[in-house]
Amino acid sequence: MKNNPQKSGVWSRKYFVILTVCIITGFIIGYSYNLSKDNRQITSSPTLYTQQQDAYREELIEQQERNKELAEELDEILETIRKYEKEYTTNEERYDELVEEAERLRILMGELPVTGKGISVTLRDDDYTGVTNPNDYIVHESHVFNVINELKISGAEAIAINGQRLKTNSYISCNGPVITIDGNQYPAPFVIEAVGDQNGLIGALEIGGGVFDQLLNDNIVVTVEKKEQIVMPSITKGNL
Amino acid sequence: MWLPLLGLILGIALGVLTDIEIPSVYENYLSIAVLAALDTMFGGIRAQLQQVYDDKVFITGFFFNIALAAGLAFLGVHIGVDLYLAAIFAFGVRLFQNIAVIRRILITRWEEYRIKKRKNSSESR
Repeated sequence: MKNNPQKSGVWSRKYFVILTVCIITGFIIGYSYNLSKDNRQITSSPTLYTQQQDAYREELIEQQERNKELAEELDEILETIRKYEKEYTTNEERYDELVEEAERLRILMGELPVTGKGISVTLRDDDYTGVTNPNDYIVHESHVFNVINELKISGAEAIAINGQRLKTNSYISCNGPVITIDGNQYPAPFVIEAVGDQNGLIGALEIGGGVFDQLLNDNIVVTVEKKEQIVMPSITKGNL
Repeated sequence: MWLPLLGLILGIALGVLTDIEIPSVYENYLSIAVLAALDTMFGGIRAQLQQVYDDKVFITGFFFNIALAAGLAFLGVHIGVDLYLAAIFAFGVRLFQNIAVIRRILITRWEEYRIKKRKNSSESR
């Protein structure tokens, strides 16, 4: 076929047509590819923008919700504070009372050092005459107990024996010629100091048939002094 | 034989390199034009293989198909019916049919060629 000279003209025209069509087709394909690529770029940037916008919006919503929560919390706290204030106005007097009560109880517990007016009772062994039982002439813990109980009953705020502060759960035991208070031994004479109303305390001790009479009956030398200034350490210091 | 391929590559290069801006409304037309052009090309190849190729039919078919597709799409846009889908459908179906026919013809020819070659080799022996 190719060798046919008559047909060569036809062939060349045919090739020309094919070439033209191919070029046009290629052009259209390439152009539309180019265009869709551009479109993708154009559409991709708005999506990025929208994504950013969405992210910001979500963040904003989150922040607003957080703000709301915090505002509610603040309201709650303010409400609580108001309640406390109301309670405080109604209970202010009671608080003062409670503070005083706590102070008094602490002194009784011996947790606070105490200074103040008071009395001092000294119990001393009587001179031994050698005639009767020597036990009858020395101070026993029962005598100390009596004095302490009487003092406590008559309103002593704090009591100390030979400088040893008594607390609510102190123990006193007789141990031969000495007595043991909370594990510390003290020999006679015993100086019992009490902070409180001086006249009341002395009156309570000297009541007829009371502690003093019993002590004198047991041959114990008792001396009572009023003291203007008694300084008692707290138990913690006393134990040191 | 390399001429059509060369032309295609040249056309693609030209199309990629051109920087003409067209409104995005006409993109549908372009896609249809692509389909129409491809369809016509494969139709031409098929016709060539079936030895019914004709220059006039080919060239008129090429331009007429593109124009018709674009016109249909234009009409569709203006009457609110997606007529370009019809064009895409028709061209797509024809494209696949043409390619299938081309494939079959090529396979048949290849088989004939193989048989002939075997015969030749056996005769020579």
